[in-house]
Amino acid sequence: MNLKFKRSWLILLSFVLMLGILAACSGGSDNTSTEGEKENEEKETGPQMGGTVVGAMDTAPSGSFNPIFYEEAYEANIIEFVYEGLVSQNNSLEFVPNLAKEWKYNEDHSEITFTLEENVKWHDGEPFTAHDVVFTYKTMSDPDYIEAGGVRASEYASRLLGYKEYSEGQTDEFQGVVAEDDHTVTFKFAEPNVIALSDASFSIIPEHIFKDIPVADIPAAPESREPGKVIGTGPFKFTEMVQGEQYVLEKNADYWQGEPYLDSVVWKVVDQAVILGLLENGEIDFVADPNGFQAADYEAVAAMQNVEIIEQPDFGYQIMGMMHNHRAAGDMTLDPSKWTVNENLKDPRVRQAIAYAIDRQAIIDGLLYGRGIVQNSPIATQFWAYDDQNPPAYEHDQDKANQLLDEAGYVDVDGDGFREDPNGEKWVLNLNYPLGNQIRERSAPIIEEFLEEVGINIDLRQPKEAAAYFEDLEKNSQDWDLYLVGWSLSSGDPSPEGLWGSKDFYNYSRWNNPEADKLLAEAVKPPEAFEQDYRKEIYSKWQVEFGEDLPALILYAANSLWAHNSRMKGIDVLPYQFHNNPHLWYVTE
Amino acid sequence: MFQYIIRRILVFIPMLFVLTVIVFALMQAAPGDAFTGRIDPTVDPEVYEQRREALGLNDPIHIQYWNWIKGAVVGDFGESLIYKGRAVSDLIAERFSNTLNLGVMTLIITIVVSIPIGIYSARHPYTPLDYGATAFGFFGLATPNFFFGLVAIYIFSIKLGWLPAHGTVSKPGIDGFELFFDKIRHLILPSITLGLAGTASYMRYMRSEVLDVLGSDYIRTARAKGMTENTVLYKHTLRNALIPIITLLGFEVGVLLGGAVITESVFQFPGLGTLFITSIGNRDYPVIMAINLMLGFFVLLGNLLADIFYSIVDPRIRYD
Repeated sequence: MNLKFKRSWLILLSFVLMLGILAACSGGSDNTSTEGEKENEEKETGPQMGGTVVGAMDTAPSGSFNPIFYEEAYEANIIEFVYEGLVSQNNSLEFVPNLAKEWKYNEDHSEITFTLEENVKWHDGEPFTAHDVVFTYKTMSDPDYIEAGGVRASEYASRLLGYKEYSEGQTDEFQGVVAEDDHTVTFKFAEPNVIALSDASFSIIPEHIFKDIPVADIPAAPESREPGKVIGTGPFKFTEMVQGEQYVLEKNADYWQGEPYLDSVVWKVVDQAVILGLLENGEIDFVADPNGFQAADYEAVAAMQNVEIIEQPDFGYQIMGMMHNHRAAGDMTLDPSKWTVNENLKDPRVRQAIAYAIDRQAIIDGLLYGRGIVQNSPIATQFWAYDDQNPPAYEHDQDKANQLLDEAGYVDVDGDGFREDPNGEKWVLNLNYPLGNQIRERSAPIIEEFLEEVGINIDLRQPKEAAAYFEDLEKNSQDWDLYLVGWSLSSGDPSPEGLWGSKDFYNYSRWNNPEADKLLAEAVKPPEAFEQDYRKEIYSKWQVEFGEDLPALILYAANSLWAHNSRMKGIDVLPYQFHNNPHLWYVTE
Repeated sequence: MFQYIIRRILVFIPMLFVLTVIVFALMQAAPGDAFTGRIDPTVDPEVYEQRREALGLNDPIHIQYWNWIKGAVVGDFGESLIYKGRAVSDLIAERFSNTLNLGVMTLIITIVVSIPIGIYSARHPYTPLDYGATAFGFFGLATPNFFFGLVAIYIFSIKLGWLPAHGTVSKPGIDGFELFFDKIRHLILPSITLGLAGTASYMRYMRSEVLDVLGSDYIRTARAKGMTENTVLYKHTLRNALIPIITLLGFEVGVLLGGAVITESVFQFPGLGTLFITSIGNRDYPVIMAINLMLGFFVLLGNLLADIFYSIVDPRIRYD
């Protein structure tokens, strides 16, 4: 009797629990009937003033809101509303006026002079002048800048005239950027500079706020971190925050390009798993940079009637690197003459066979639900420099892969199903990959399978977390063959230098191809390189070289998937980011 | 008693010292440092090398330890390597109040729910309510935190809209009573989520302890003397049944104050747990060391508190 009773109680209880969950699940469906009426009301009314939009990001910013010291995309989400640069980029990635209304080069392109907008004010009412521009670049060139934690100097300031001397403390005179008068500023470069506009595009910080703070103390200063004290020229002011949770940007009514429509933009930090629910119930208006939403959730988001999706290619890609050479243990220099050739991948036919053997479209379809693209060279496809015609495309072709491996002498002599090397020795390629990107983690065993299908014996190694993985890749990769890594690129200039030159630190494949190096140098060599068509041609040759020599196979570029509530209007995204002219955003209702 | 407490606290010092040595050595043995995971093609790697040098990360381990400990003994835990230019003590202080609120709330829920139900179950074993409690116990222990948290958010925040889904306050700039109640509202879901497993297990412990004590000879004697059932229960049974629970709660204090990684991240509740995990991923040594030291201290403190409570509930236990 007792036992029977016990059971019936359990059944009853689980029944009650289930009912509760069912009731909760069905709660959401009854608001669909009103949808039609809403749409009718929403006639073209044009922009209206007022309202607040709420953005979501899945990780809290570390809290540095100074453009010259921040490092994370989460911090950029706030900084980009507050600060502006002299020039910005448009939809086709051309540089267009921003704080500077026009510019002209000197004869040999070693100087560029900007005329600044005159009615621009900082959030505290002080006028914006050429001295602020000088101050910004001077601070980035300061001897203490790097020790204080700044990482932007190499990308933006290092080509300025006298950068080396000033940053090493040999002189107190900063020559690189000069204010001609309050609204004219000249950038002087050590050599004619092909990417002068990219160099000059950095966000400007106010001199009157920071001039009395020693550079070493700027990162920790309230002026770099606290709402109300962070002062920019942008359309929104950073006014309030709850550290790690919420960041409030209020409109700058005196904005020089016109008063923003919205009263405020609020960033909330919400777990990835919860964002979509809140997007659907309207508590969140948009989710975009840096992570957007997952490809797996695409259908669910597309089904939300109040939400619109923006999908476009990203500026990053995942690669499978192929070690051409190995750097000796303990060698921290970048001297190709000291490297040893990786015998396992020495034959270019082997590398090409590997490229043919991997069905990249299948990886995109399977892991990214088709929300990504195959690309054949390591230049972002949005750039004018990307060549989709000439470099080899390596469409999936097992026969071709087998044929190339046979030709190269890699055949299975002992009948174990795996090929041996031309000397008949056992031939095993190891594949290494880091943790931290789920799609990439899941792609590794799939790649292993593709390669084993053409008889390449793969040793899939245990993945490691990023800090450990990259230490190994930099120092202990003497026996590595294949490795996975993801790169995200800057939208400023398409030059692949930094990643693929033989002397580049991040050239982890230790690819040493003099012809390719020569092309990289030619592509930025003045004066020819001031012609975009010339650069385009050189980069095309380089991309062919890359594709044939294969220091890496570009696996896929996942699309950015962003979503916003339909009540948000005036959104005009850029190829590389969601926020663009947020002063033109408005809401209906 | 007072002397006993002082003695116990003095013993903390060598224990914590050994803890710091072990943790520091382990951290150095782990591959990578604060900058190896930061690979950005737009940043010259030389920059990171310069910062390593400036921060002393290239120094021999004993020198690094000496630099750390000499600051730590005077309460200076240095600056975070990741949160640029921020003192470790600031970072922890900022998060600790959130963790403390969550911990206290969780403890309150755990105690208030589990002990009465446990007692009730023991007094009325094999009744429908006892079975209900047992079922709840299994449910609580078997449900993973993150899953319960997500379901709770789905039902109570997204569908019903009763409670907030994330954070510790709804907007900046509120104060007084409004802030207090707002914070409580934000604590409800996370603390229930965090306390679920604890509540379930304490309830089970309490039930079996009380049942155990109720069956013992001295309880029979007490009843034979004609004491009322309430006196028997609250005066004689409860005190004895609580001793093992107090031991467990002592540990629980240490654990709760260390932060709760999973619950914190589901609710984006900025507490010590997430700070700890991010710091480990980033090899942010100064922060890891400081949190470890704190955790060690709280575990020891929790144990000390448990010992003190023993002597309060059980007159047979005396320290001197």
